[in-house]
Amino acid sequence: MAEDPKLVAQPRAKLGTAECRRLRRDAKVPGNIYGHGEAPVTIAVPAESLIPIVHSGHKVVDLELDGSSQKAMFREVQWDTFGSHLIHFDLQRVSADERVTTEVAVETHGTSPGVLAGGILEMPLHTIRIECPALQIPDRIEVNINHIDLGGAIHVGDLQLPPDVKVLNDPDEIVLHVVRPTVTAEELEAASGTVEPELVKKTTETEPTE
Amino acid sequence: MALMPKRVKHRKEQRGRIKGNATRGNTVAYGDWGLQAVDPGYVSARTIEACRIAINQYIRGEGKLYIRIFPHKPVTARPLETRMGKGKGDPDHWVAVVKPGTVMFEVLGVSKEAARECFARVSYKLPVKVRLIGRRPTI
Repeated sequence: MAEDPKLVAQPRAKLGTAECRRLRRDAKVPGNIYGHGEAPVTIAVPAESLIPIVHSGHKVVDLELDGSSQKAMFREVQWDTFGSHLIHFDLQRVSADERVTTEVAVETHGTSPGVLAGGILEMPLHTIRIECPALQIPDRIEVNINHIDLGGAIHVGDLQLPPDVKVLNDPDEIVLHVVRPTVTAEELEAASGTVEPELVKKTTETEPTE
Repeated sequence: MALMPKRVKHRKEQRGRIKGNATRGNTVAYGDWGLQAVDPGYVSARTIEACRIAINQYIRGEGKLYIRIFPHKPVTARPLETRMGKGKGDPDHWVAVVKPGTVMFEVLGVSKEAARECFARVSYKLPVKVRLIGRRPTI
């Protein structure tokens, strides 16, 4: 986990949709910061400094606002329809002595022998929910798949986590597994051929009425 | 044969209009890479089936395909050489209504280059402009 990146924000005096659109046209992203019983503050940050932080997976930032610095973590990030522009973000004030719950991404490393043997790596869980000290949130959970054979799986309980990090998912949940390629029911149905769909009305008419 | 609903409430539907962008189904949810529509349009069940075959031929044995759209909407057509009138035509085929931003297909377990080449083959079959997208960062 690297040092927390710095984010320089300006308070927003004007609020509302039109003002937010003006900010976005000026390559700024509107956002909020709240928490610790203090009043929420509306802020704006330059998009060029925010986007690399969001893509890095780092959750906590050193927010500089009105000359003072405070630790804050991302609580929500909103994207446009195409996922190319950030349109809004929420930050929550955090301190070193509190624990927070958040989601972190699971990343695979290595090559599975099961995949080389013709299997398909499936990943039912791309993110896991964790509880940890606010300033020690891991950017991502790395999973080595060099030992996963065909039919093998890694469960939530098998994940190697940094100290003081507690997983909130069920330990028996499958994070990833290597399965044999199979013909799905959908493909079988597609191959068998179908007729016109049944009308819902038809079935209700045949049912006895009281 | 292509995808179609098992049960429907009405055999025929009005055409309607495709308004606005996709607010749901616009992120990569299951795979690593997705094919996102940029334009609105109707994608027929036969086109979805053709895309499925093309993707599976490319990623066979390596990755997994997820189809994120389903042809819920019936399209009617008149028989050839018939006069106008006499009511609406009979159901002819099924289409999926695709709004800009909809992620139509996803692949898992392939590299970005492979996904790009795979989806490039698919894009020729589709009636809408598309682009390759990855997963959004987790916050």
